[in-house]
Amino acid sequence: MSSNLPVLLFLVPFVMGVSMPLLTAKRRSWCPNLMLGTVGVMLLLSITNLRVVLAEGPIDYAFGGWAAPIGIAWLNDSIAAIVILTINVVSLISLIYGRVVVTTGLEKSVPYYTLILIMVSGLVGIIFAADLFNLFVFLEVAALAGYALVGAAGGKGLVYAFRYLLLGSFGASLYLLGLGHLYVATGTLNMADLAIRLPELLTSTAVASGLIYIFLGLSIKMALIPLHSWLPDAYENAPSSVTPLLASTVTKVALVAWVRIEYSLITPGVEVSHVPVLVLLEELGVLAALIGGSLALIQTDLKRMFAYGGISHIGLILIGVSLGNVTGFAGGMFYLINDAVMQAALFMIAGTVLHYHGAKTLEDLRGVGRQSPWLTGALIVVAVAMVGLPPTGGFFGKWNIILGALEAQHYLAVFAVVASTLLTLGYFLKIFSCWFHQPQFAESESLEVSGALRISLGAISVSIIALGLMSDSIFQFLLESVTSGGA
Amino acid sequence: MGELLQTLIQRPNFIVFAILFLWGIYIMTAHPNLVKKLIGLYIVQTSVIFFLVAFSAKEGATVPILLTDTASVDALNYANPLPHALTVTAIVVQIATLGVSLALVSAIYRKFGSLDEDEILEQLK
Repeated sequence: MSSNLPVLLFLVPFVMGVSMPLLTAKRRSWCPNLMLGTVGVMLLLSITNLRVVLAEGPIDYAFGGWAAPIGIAWLNDSIAAIVILTINVVSLISLIYGRVVVTTGLEKSVPYYTLILIMVSGLVGIIFAADLFNLFVFLEVAALAGYALVGAAGGKGLVYAFRYLLLGSFGASLYLLGLGHLYVATGTLNMADLAIRLPELLTSTAVASGLIYIFLGLSIKMALIPLHSWLPDAYENAPSSVTPLLASTVTKVALVAWVRIEYSLITPGVEVSHVPVLVLLEELGVLAALIGGSLALIQTDLKRMFAYGGISHIGLILIGVSLGNVTGFAGGMFYLINDAVMQAALFMIAGTVLHYHGAKTLEDLRGVGRQSPWLTGALIVVAVAMVGLPPTGGFFGKWNIILGALEAQHYLAVFAVVASTLLTLGYFLKIFSCWFHQPQFAESESLEVSGALRISLGAISVSIIALGLMSDSIFQFLLESVTSGGA
Repeated sequence: MGELLQTLIQRPNFIVFAILFLWGIYIMTAHPNLVKKLIGLYIVQTSVIFFLVAFSAKEGATVPILLTDTASVDALNYANPLPHALTVTAIVVQIATLGVSLALVSAIYRKFGSLDEDEILEQLK
């Protein structure tokens, strides 16, 4: 039973998603509860999975009993287990929130719930896949559901969903092309197998171009600058009820996929055609962190500002995992987990503000702080975490990335982390100066009516603080899993 | 240069792949019509599938099915089945993408009454 946990984690949302139209043919009102129940079951499964992995170490799951190089394999290791747990916690909270602020018309639409469950199952597949082609298929499963969800509310969202689809599918084609190159050069697609055969082939141009295509394809999916242009438009116009889920998972999971490939295929100090690969990746991360933070600072729309903030954090994580030492790697992975939670919190706040106060830009935010104490509390917690002050996980992630950068003597990376922290502080000051401004209208009653909204805002703030309080044990756990070669 | 030219001429399949791939990108970026952009995307995806099929081709090879289990197997006589399996799956993914994108395009047409990107962007302002 326990060895089948990864497949169950994938099958539960997938089967429920596909059978949702049948199960709710008579009673449409069941949909939201059925979806929340499914994600709740997944959460229990992922907790059990983490315990099993902690007790028994990494598990190779071979489909149909065919062992790895011939059959299709999934790798259920500690990093996969902890990322899955994070994604499940974040999805459950954002979906509870999504029930409250759902756009009119969407809450009765069965395909909407099917799409959410299928996207979650695709994300689970991406994280477990230990085979490049398997990864491609799950990337597309998750991405196709994501395109449809961005356009689900209709209106402007449709046009940006279409753009997202064009860029995303083009990225997937590049990934497939790179995978073909690697297959030609090595004759295998299994990551563990590739890791054995690749090092001696790194001088081959086929391998180099294959890795470049794969990286380009995945960087479109993870919105790495300069391939980020789809993200702000898509998240600005997607329905508020799914933006937290999309923003916290899709880009982060694409980054996890790249980390898996990078970690198993590229050892520190590797040079392809005299280019040190990891240093190049780190510099791309530096660019993304700085440009993303600066673009966030000049936005006037709240959702766009948060979207650019997320783009700059993708850069920070990429810096961490590309430093070539375990401190930086574990710091980057820890920051990734934090970032998933923080992005969900940010877009939940932006969605609530839009839904209850009709505020879209910073100007509209005036006085919101005086009407909504819960929202203000959540915003303060997430701002502290985004800037990276000690009681939250954001601080420990950044701190370890900086320690790793000092260890590797990459002072540019240190500068980028510090500068992006200052930029983050800058745009949160802009938000706060409007938030606590004198209200435009003299109304004082609280606008937060729904208990579910309070629960979700409270839960996400508690998770942010809990990540900070438990940061030491999580970080040690990540460090051990890296040093034992379990990634 | 001469060496590069020789390498290229020996691989006509890859020249065709490169032409299709770049042509697809050109259509995707240059045409304002949304359906034509989709056609461009479709050509890009097809060119990658063509690439997968092209490198798995082998002269004088047959389908990888063993008819007897007594004769010794010579891998040279059989085509590599894996790229073909990948191709079938990639085609399924491509069709799913096309389905979602056509649904989006028709929704855009119903909403904005046009398929021209410039006109739609004009309405979005």
